[in-house]
Amino acid sequence: MTDVRAPEADPFESAAEQDDREDRSRDRAAGTLGFADWLKWGWRQLTSMRIALVLLFLLALGSVPGSMLPQEGTDAAGVQQYYTSHPALAPLLNHLGLFNVFAAPWFAAIYLLLFTSLVGCVVPRTFRLAGSARALPPRAPRHLTRLPRSAEYTTVLAPALAAEVAATVLAGHGFRLRRPADASGGAWVSAEKGYLREVGNLLFHLALLGVLVSVALGGLFGYKADRLLVQGTTFADTQSALDEFYPGRLVTAADLGPFTITLNRFDASYITSGAQRGQPASFDAQISYAAYPGGPVRTDQLEVNRPLSVDGAKVYLIGHGYAPVFKVTDARGQVVYDQATPFISGSSGNFLSQGVVKVLDAQPEQLGFTGVFVPTAVEAGGVLESVFPAADNPVVSLIAYAGNLGLNSGVTQSVYQMDTAGMRRLTADPQLLLPGQSLKLPGGQGTITFTGYVPWVSLAITHDPGQLPALICGIAALGGLLLSFMVRRRRVFVRARASGPGTTVQIGGLARTDASGGFEAEFASLAAELRSAHHQAAASRQHEGE
Amino acid sequence: MVVLAATVLAGVTLAVVLLTGWATGGNSGVTDVAGSTSAVLYPAGHRPLAPDFTATTLTGSRLRFSSYRGQVVVLNFWGSWCGPCREEAPTLAVAARQYRSAGVAFLGVDVRDTTASALAFARDFGITYPSVSDSGSEITLDFTTVVPIAGTPTTLVIDRTGHITGAVFGTATYQELTDLLAKVTGKAAG
Amino acid sequence: MPVNLALGHVSNDFLIAALVIYSLSVVAFAGDFAFGRPRRAVASEPQVRERASTLAGVGAAGAAVAGPAAGAPAAADGGPADGPAAAPAAAAVPDSMPAVAAPPLRAVAQAGRWVQAAMALSAVAVVAHTAAVVTRGLAVHRAPWGNMYEFVTALTCVAAIFFLFVMVRYRAWALGVFVMGAVVVALGLAETLIYTAAGQLVPALQSYWLDIHVTAMTLATGIFFVAAVLGVVYLVADRYSRRVAAGRAEPGNGIMRRLPGLEQIDRLTYRTIMFGFPVWTFGVIAGAIWADQAWGRYWGWDPVETWAFITWVLYAAFLHARATAGWRGRRAHYIQLLGFASLMFNILVVQVFIAGLHSYAGVS
Repeated sequence: MTDVRAPEADPFESAAEQDDREDRSRDRAAGTLGFADWLKWGWRQLTSMRIALVLLFLLALGSVPGSMLPQEGTDAAGVQQYYTSHPALAPLLNHLGLFNVFAAPWFAAIYLLLFTSLVGCVVPRTFRLAGSARALPPRAPRHLTRLPRSAEYTTVLAPALAAEVAATVLAGHGFRLRRPADASGGAWVSAEKGYLREVGNLLFHLALLGVLVSVALGGLFGYKADRLLVQGTTFADTQSALDEFYPGRLVTAADLGPFTITLNRFDASYITSGAQRGQPASFDAQISYAAYPGGPVRTDQLEVNRPLSVDGAKVYLIGHGYAPVFKVTDARGQVVYDQATPFISGSSGNFLSQGVVKVLDAQPEQLGFTGVFVPTAVEAGGVLESVFPAADNPVVSLIAYAGNLGLNSGVTQSVYQMDTAGMRRLTADPQLLLPGQSLKLPGGQGTITFTGYVPWVSLAITHDPGQLPALICGIAALGGLLLSFMVRRRRVFVRARASGPGTTVQIGGLARTDASGGFEAEFASLAAELRSAHHQAAASRQHEGE
Repeated sequence: MVVLAATVLAGVTLAVVLLTGWATGGNSGVTDVAGSTSAVLYPAGHRPLAPDFTATTLTGSRLRFSSYRGQVVVLNFWGSWCGPCREEAPTLAVAARQYRSAGVAFLGVDVRDTTASALAFARDFGITYPSVSDSGSEITLDFTTVVPIAGTPTTLVIDRTGHITGAVFGTATYQELTDLLAKVTGKAAG
Repeated sequence: MPVNLALGHVSNDFLIAALVIYSLSVVAFAGDFAFGRPRRAVASEPQVRERASTLAGVGAAGAAVAGPAAGAPAAADGGPADGPAAAPAAAAVPDSMPAVAAPPLRAVAQAGRWVQAAMALSAVAVVAHTAAVVTRGLAVHRAPWGNMYEFVTALTCVAAIFFLFVMVRYRAWALGVFVMGAVVVALGLAETLIYTAAGQLVPALQSYWLDIHVTAMTLATGIFFVAAVLGVVYLVADRYSRRVAAGRAEPGNGIMRRLPGLEQIDRLTYRTIMFGFPVWTFGVIAGAIWADQAWGRYWGWDPVETWAFITWVLYAAFLHARATAGWRGRRAHYIQLLGFASLMFNILVVQVFIAGLHSYAGVS
């Protein structure tokens, strides 16, 4: 067992390095090295501190491109943009998996090797710790003054009694003691304390492993979905009603909870004055929902930081925007379009939003409009700007097209984009409309009316069975870390020898894992306490003797 | 010697990498079924019962699905905004006319849509059979519990006892539709 | 609740005051280097045994007691430490007991006028700095670390308080000029470059988990700030001692003579990081809890999250390096500084320029 080792050993050397050294010297003694030995060598390399260091560096380094380049999971549009702005470089980066770093095989290889190294180091140490749970500290060395910390004083107590008193004091401090089996080696006490440090250390590393397993659980059994919901409308949680659906590896659409949510009302308030004018002050969504078809309808207020829990999933309020309402009458006088059309605000501030209106069944020709919705419109130098995010002065600017929108052949298009390749422009300039105003299209093609606007919200629906385990493991890791940092493994030895009329008491101590210092103070106070205990015992004996 | 050790380590790494690639590779977004079509015929004994529903048609009247019991029904999930639905609409219009005499009823479920656009669509493609409005996808949700509806268009063929006998997930071709109908009705078109 | 602009101005006034007083304390620390009581160069190893010959008598002042107390350059100051009260010893063997450190204020008093002035000024500056942070919080009715200016102000306050404690506990005032100097520079930059008037937070940030997460990150960053400064001092001292060993520099050079031994600076740095690392870990966990509440997932490799992870890994690498033969000393400190650089990169570059859910710096 490697726990009982000479006090003169380097207290900074870790158990793993010690094993390393011992194994290597054993191998050298053995002579020839076969295949099994090479496997062992490889395994020992993998589980060594040095390799762990290298892998940690690689992990940090490998994460860097994941933060600098747009990643497919979170910013697919950004990835597309990267392709257009770096046409030669992008395919190469894609080959290297740099647009999806954290799911890339090479990144996985790094953290898996790191965890293998961790497991290979931690598991044997766990067994060793369990084995040493009852092991006693080593015998007290002969010359305690050679230890890193030592003290010496005399007392009138007999050696055996002095050792007794010392043992009582040390036991009172929670040390694990070892006493001599017989009187042949003199009177001494060995004391060791701080086993919890290794417990904390192992707990920390195993808990990290637990976090990894939890993440894998989420990746296998969890899912994420998005849905944009216009005020006044309902959606049921089924695949065809979701805008995006990212199932985990072992998840199918059947795992979606059968709830329905209606957005009754959405309110956003903004700061109206001061340096932060225009910043959102609060936003909340009033919803009603049913956990399953026919189930009781409940109401809830969704806010940022306040998701709804339903059917094992959580529904989050992620964002919001404006959906102007348009009514289109075609050339034949039929109302062919009458609905709220979500417009999306991009990076331009104050909710300047863009969208398209595709009137697919206008007769005789399909109609299309590209539009800009400006919540608080101000015209500055011929350019329409939004100066405040609330809809205080809403204006819509439209460009009208007629022709073939390209959808009849069965391709799918984004509802926020229009393909004008098969269309001809009907209006030369963008036409501005206030709420209630209509635009008559040239050539008797019809009319479009901007009837009003309603807000929309974007919801994220997520399910992650690994979430709670990850939290528990994270807290356990923190606990283990604190334990391993705060507890020091140290040994204290006391020897009492007769010298002259009294007894010389020698105290020696060392900290096995005290790279940060702090044992000196503890040893100093222990030594003082032992001495005063001896002097008190001597004094009380003198008293009794009288 | 070093080569051997390096090979072993490389082998371990490769195994580990392949395993992870599998475990984390499942996260591509899945949206609608456009472009991928599969026609399915459910064997006897494996035909799920179609859920009942009551909804409002595009013309404003109430319709109860169970009122179709005793007829073969082609239930088509569509939306006026949906490109592949527009592609298959002529097929459905023709098939509806052809199978009317055989007693096959066509019913549409208009998903995530509005009345004005939906009626315009029907006028445009000559769809004369009724459709119910499912703007909240609740009917879709009900049916998804028995058949895996992933998006639009989806066409279900329901027999006289109300069981779903066949399905087309994606754009239905005339051939696929008529094949399914022939199997269910025992008759050819016309 | 509206922002109390008047109180916001008061906060800024306190901060300016703190800046001035910190600068004066730096001057005093530097004065100690130049004119202070001479001290022996400390070369103590952790394993040097202390020996004190104490004879009968309580409080043997004047007894030559050498030996450092726990990890501190106490031996560097010229004053004697108190020996323990000794009971009458009847035997011929003289007692040899480890020295117990002198009480901190006595040690300060014995360190000379310059150190006394510097420590007093530092303490006053810290009080003003804390007042600045607290009044800012009262002005905006929330925890005062919601944008980058507030964050830098708060973290330097944490660093200063922490280092004040370290200086007193470990008698480490020889390092005061460096750490307080760094605080002055950081605060100065914050005031001039990234000042943001007091204001409300965007709704995405209104959550009590914000307070917990950002508080922890602020604390940890302040602590790592101290460790980074100490790391730089270590590297400079290490380079100097290598040059001395190679015969290319004079031993006993002025400033170098003032500094504590390499081993002590190293241990101080290590203890600092051992304090900061769990706080950072807790901050990351709290951030994950907050992210789950706000955005629906506890970890999404958002650029800020990724760099917080990188920082964590690098400090973990430092801790591993300390336990790996051949990686202690200089290399470990390079790693530690790399970790701090990643932390700074996260705050200054990633949060401001790289778009992500975290953008709230309040800097336009």
